[in-house]
Amino acid sequence: MIEVTGLRKTFGGVVAVEDVTFSAPDGRITGLLGPNGAGKTTTLRVVSGMLQPDRGEARIDDVDVLADPSAGRARLGLLPDARGLYPRLTARENIRYYGELYGLRGKALGKRIDELIEMLELGHVADRAATGFSQGERMKVAIARALVHDPPNVILDEPTNGLDVMSIRSLRAFLVRLREEGRCVLFSSHVMQEVSALCDAIVIIAKGQVVASGTEEELKVQTGAETMEDVFVAAATEEAP
Amino acid sequence: MSPLWIVFRKELIDAIRDRRSLMSMLLFPLLGPVMVSVALNFTAQELDQNRDVELPVVGQEHAPQLMAFLHDHRVELVPPPDDYLEAVRIGDSPMVLIVHEDYAERFRDARANTVELVVDQSRTAGAGDRARVRHLLEAYGERLALLRMVARGVDPQLAKPLKVQSVDVSTPAKRAAIFLNLLPMFVLLAAFIGGMYLATDATAGERERGSLEPLLLTPVSRGAIVTGKWLASVLFSAVTVVLTLGLTLVALGTIPLEEIGLHVDIGVTDVLGILLAVIPLSFAAPAAQVLVALFARSYKEAQTYLSIMIFIPTLPGAIFGIKPLEAQPWMYPIPVLGQQTLLTSTIRGEPTPVYGFVLAALGASLLALILVLAAARMLRSERIVMGR
Repeated sequence: MIEVTGLRKTFGGVVAVEDVTFSAPDGRITGLLGPNGAGKTTTLRVVSGMLQPDRGEARIDDVDVLADPSAGRARLGLLPDARGLYPRLTARENIRYYGELYGLRGKALGKRIDELIEMLELGHVADRAATGFSQGERMKVAIARALVHDPPNVILDEPTNGLDVMSIRSLRAFLVRLREEGRCVLFSSHVMQEVSALCDAIVIIAKGQVVASGTEEELKVQTGAETMEDVFVAAATEEAP
Repeated sequence: MSPLWIVFRKELIDAIRDRRSLMSMLLFPLLGPVMVSVALNFTAQELDQNRDVELPVVGQEHAPQLMAFLHDHRVELVPPPDDYLEAVRIGDSPMVLIVHEDYAERFRDARANTVELVVDQSRTAGAGDRARVRHLLEAYGERLALLRMVARGVDPQLAKPLKVQSVDVSTPAKRAAIFLNLLPMFVLLAAFIGGMYLATDATAGERERGSLEPLLLTPVSRGAIVTGKWLASVLFSAVTVVLTLGLTLVALGTIPLEEIGLHVDIGVTDVLGILLAVIPLSFAAPAAQVLVALFARSYKEAQTYLSIMIFIPTLPGAIFGIKPLEAQPWMYPIPVLGQQTLLTSTIRGEPTPVYGFVLAALGASLLALILVLAAARMLRSERIVMGR
């Protein structure tokens, strides 16, 4: 369960996030939808405790992230915008490194890594150096290392960026699986089709503010639009000053 | 295993798999010994008095006595090359002696004679041979003057009212230090070069590849991350220092130092002293590199700053080369300067106070600590994730 209340963040006078409030419940996939530069990444960075907001609150499973970032991070798996791997380490070593940093050891860690490799269908590249990986393979390894500590909350920042159709399909299946396991899944995107195909609830952000939220049907009623695209355009332009 | 050691071990594995990191650690140590060895072997050859000097002479036939004199003093007289001026200019011959056609006539009349020695003063190669030939020619002239004065019943002392005799008080060990001054510079450079690639790759490289943000998302403290990365490059730096020093000592063993009149005696305690003084620098230099690379906006920018920083360890050597300074107590705790001072006096065989090594080690360690704390602080700032 991820809750964000009244978040505001500025960078040297430039307002990146004006006022963002939303919550993402367990067992649901929540989509954070917004055009480029709307403040999605900044919001997610505050939730992960990487950035200190000027105002507002972020909680993960009732842990105040700002007061105790480590406890918050222990309950959170985040695939950030930056998803570089260590090119000279194999996929397995990349994942293992993060597992050890999260405090996992020995057989439990080995078992978890095997599980992730199987779940993400990484078997054929598991013991190859990451240097020649495709975008899709790289993204999968980045997801595996973000989830190595088996977190109940999962955030993915623009996970479909640069992926081909096959990779996107397998990513979707993976996210559905995470939902079925009862996790809270929050993912950001600027692609409406992605969000509408997958999400149980949608939060639309524009110019640093939440302009609409709800299920796809609710949003259509709210904005009086026919398609999700119309919903997006209406929501994104309506509130603009 | 604590997070710090997990980071440390990963950076080591990563660097060992990286040819560039490994090369900077393993190839650099060869450079110093090879250069010192080549330079000293060359000098040994140059100063070898038992060797025949080859001297091209124009107009040998005009001065048979002079030629015989030179020949007796192990100068091998050879015909001059066609264009001897050009030959000297381009360095084919170190010198050419010209005897003029009227030499024999003037010699018979006991008039003053001129011989020309064509040299290129800007070339250091063959300087020893040139000095030797010039000295022989002057000696021949003096002998001639003496004979002529005696023949005329004049006391030869009248012609030499002042005699200058230089007394060389430099000990062989001190003379050796002039050549061996290269050694401290290479050892200090090793401390800077050994871990530089790792330090850059693990910080600026990590950020550029986009793996820094995910790393900072783990619950590991920023201090542990910085310290692990730093210690990995410390290990590379220290290994490079030890290899450089070891190989230099091996190289010195192969040089005929006694033939140059040098006496180098570096014992086990000297080596331990040098290591004690320099290893702390292997802690400080990578700390500075980690800090600078974190500060830089990109990998390229980091490389630019760090390649400028490489000049730091060469500075004291360069300054001492121009204006030799006696070792002063205040020099010891200053990183780089202290190490240079201690290395130089150890190699010269001068007594070095134990507190000097301790102060040098403390100075560099303190600097390393301050820099690592600053680097951890920088990693905690928001700007590290956002870029600048």
